Amino acid sequence: MVKIKHSGDLEALRITLEDERGNYRSKITICGGTGCQASRSLAVIEAVKKEITRQYLEKDVLVRSTGCHGFCEQGPIMVIEPGNLFYCHVVPEDAREIVSKTLLKGEVIERLLYTDPVSGRKIRTEVEIPFYQAQDRQLLAYNKLVDPCLIEDYISVGGYASIAKTLAGIDPETVIEEVRASGLRGRGGGGFPTGTKWTECWEAPGDEKYVVCNADEGDPGAYMDRCLLEANPHLVIEGMMIGAWAVGADHGYIYVRKEYPLAVKHARIAVQQARKYGLLGNNILGSSFSFDIDIARGGGAFVCGESTALMASLEGKVGEPRPKDIHTVKSGLWDKPTVLNNVETWANVPFIILNGSRWFASKGTKSSKGTKILALTGQVKNTGLVEVAMGTSLRTIVFDIGGGSKTGNAVKAVQTGGPSGGCLPVGKFDLPIDFDALTKAGSMMGSGGMVVMDEGTCMVDVAKYFLNFLQDESCGKCVPCRIGVDRMLEIITDITEGRGRPEQISLLEELAETVSEGSLCALGKTAPNPVLSTLRYFYDEYIAHVEKKRCPAGVCKSLINYTIHPEKCEGCGICIRACPHNAVRGEKKKAHVINLLECRKCGICVTECKFDAIMVG
Amino acid sequence: MLQYVTLTIDGSRVRATKGTSVLDAAIEYGICIPHLCHVPVLSDTGACRLCIVEHVKNGSSKITTSCTLNVQEGMIINSNTEKVVKLRRNIAELMVAEAPNSRAIQDIAVRCGVKDVRYPFRNNNCIQCGRCVRYCTQFWRANALGFVGRGKERHVDYPLGSRPDFCKNCGSCTLYCPMSVTPCDGPMKRGEERLCGKCESQLSMSVGFPGACVKCELGKGFQCARQA
Repeated sequence: MVKIKHSGDLEALRITLEDERGNYRSKITICGGTGCQASRSLAVIEAVKKEITRQYLEKDVLVRSTGCHGFCEQGPIMVIEPGNLFYCHVVPEDAREIVSKTLLKGEVIERLLYTDPVSGRKIRTEVEIPFYQAQDRQLLAYNKLVDPCLIEDYISVGGYASIAKTLAGIDPETVIEEVRASGLRGRGGGGFPTGTKWTECWEAPGDEKYVVCNADEGDPGAYMDRCLLEANPHLVIEGMMIGAWAVGADHGYIYVRKEYPLAVKHARIAVQQARKYGLLGNNILGSSFSFDIDIARGGGAFVCGESTALMASLEGKVGEPRPKDIHTVKSGLWDKPTVLNNVETWANVPFIILNGSRWFASKGTKSSKGTKILALTGQVKNTGLVEVAMGTSLRTIVFDIGGGSKTGNAVKAVQTGGPSGGCLPVGKFDLPIDFDALTKAGSMMGSGGMVVMDEGTCMVDVAKYFLNFLQDESCGKCVPCRIGVDRMLEIITDITEGRGRPEQISLLEELAETVSEGSLCALGKTAPNPVLSTLRYFYDEYIAHVEKKRCPAGVCKSLINYTIHPEKCEGCGICIRACPHNAVRGEKKKAHVINLLECRKCGICVTECKFDAIMVG
Repeated sequence: MLQYVTLTIDGSRVRATKGTSVLDAAIEYGICIPHLCHVPVLSDTGACRLCIVEHVKNGSSKITTSCTLNVQEGMIINSNTEKVVKLRRNIAELMVAEAPNSRAIQDIAVRCGVKDVRYPFRNNNCIQCGRCVRYCTQFWRANALGFVGRGKERHVDYPLGSRPDFCKNCGSCTLYCPMSVTPCDGPMKRGEERLCGKCESQLSMSVGFPGACVKCELGKGFQCARQA
């Protein structure tokens, strides 16, 4: 392999590679992301490749295993070009039919097409799918064009052109100024202006500086960083190179959690390939700039996503945050100036340099620019990774992209920003995706998790779930977070188990304020958000739990009872057979009765009953 | 040569050596900011959060621990605003509910204005201030103690769970442990924990001077009493 010594060589290589790829008559893109791999996409890829070899089509058809396409619940996903044909839920046994019918004869296999759950019609092409239509994909668009294990793929779509442009004649000040003008803000949760961070690090004295990529994504239900690093690691590396050039760093680290084995693997392969081409190492592209990246695996602590804890972990110490009275841009990793950015932030940088800050700032709201990747999960019809321009309303995301409620119950709330975020009720769905607007409403952008909840969700129970998570994941260093969150959980458990007292609600509120003001790191400061936001918007549910000892959503087991409606019950006996605790009694053709002493409230009878005769309340 | 900076703590102009923390500067001038995990010879971690102060900067104030905040020229610190006092009281309440069996913590709770404890007592025998761990690792450089686990499971322990050879039984860890000072009436049994509040009468002397140190052996704060 020849090392690229000049930006002209890179362009020449790009043209050669693009031609090579243009020679194929058709292209099959199969998603090989973690989500699709779980639904056997690797077997599909193998079967398709085998079938193509069997039919002597290797020179005509390019089979590409790519990263995540975002629509994970439909996996394995296959897109066939030309024609943009979209097949979902493909199994290895379909390979022969796909090759002989679709590829050779151009016929569409109806069975594999996507059915829109809202309208119920079959959709042929990817662009027509409502889930994709309402999105604005800038970062994710490259996922389906690039095989993450092939640097050639990335170069062929114009990769590393941005660092070539930078090294060919943009000085660090201009790069920083461009990033600052673009209005890019940290995508990891804090929303700190990236340009300001870089300026401070650039101004900090010292020859030794570091850039760090934070890929320690731990929010339940969020996976945009994993997806980006898995699907397009070179984009992140290129972003880090530009950042390193701007602030004057010569070494970088990508800190990935070890629960993301595919992301670790792809990042490692990408770094090795970039080194082989001379894109990492000494004198990159013939310039004076030298830079290299190491991959560090995290042990899976949620708190290590916090910048100072991450740096402590990188240094080999216990991953605990330290006070940030001196910023990490001045004294970070090994007490040297360090720029730490999230995966998505780094991935945005090459586009800003290539297309200019004005292009980037043309999208978004006044204070938040560009696009944001969100992980849409929960009780919606379409779940997956969604990229929208900043300023898009929550309503568009939940109803247009997500397709509305999956269960038939009305949508009640959406939880944004992971465990440290808050729950926003339907009344707030006109809020835009914007750092400040969400924070003002008592939630936060966070890393971009978005969990949709319907009327069957108890908000007190949701707050309890997140507190439980945070109590487990708190590092335990400072008192408000370790003891305070634990006490909040204790109070909320009391409330959900029917021991709640009215004065406990005000105590909970006061305690939440103490934790959010008094904690050491941002993790503790945002830990009470689930409680504060549910108290703010769903206060009546707390009151119902405490004063009436009733759970309106029928979730909290201590506060509900199952009874059989004597008129609706047909006496079929299904519930008697289904009950694992033998709590249902009754004769055939006569109304059954649940013995409340033996009932463990598992809810199996409710799902089994065909006559809706079992009442919860 | 020592360099000095001038700052304002609770309205009084204070001169402090460059590089010291706000807490040290305040203590030097007799402005007593409650604290627990701070030990003069050791580095500060900001774990107990009792020494929180309001740092007024560019018109907005930020809550931060004074032990980790270094003095800067012209900085304005308020250690006794309503907000800080309330926060500190709540933090002290959490601590005394967690570990009532220590005169030091009972004393801190009373000094921070805790009148009653609204949480069920837990009677743990460690508050995880980390004084022992830091004394062992930083002062003696023995590393015979450390924190193990995270969150609720975090506790002080020997590495690998058993006493290593390099622990010389010097006893510094017990000497610096706030839990080793038992309450005046002797240790409380499980189920009998309460907020002691005996030294509250001495506290009343300081009404009107909320920032001043109470003139009793206990009221001087944990660190003062132990170091004397």
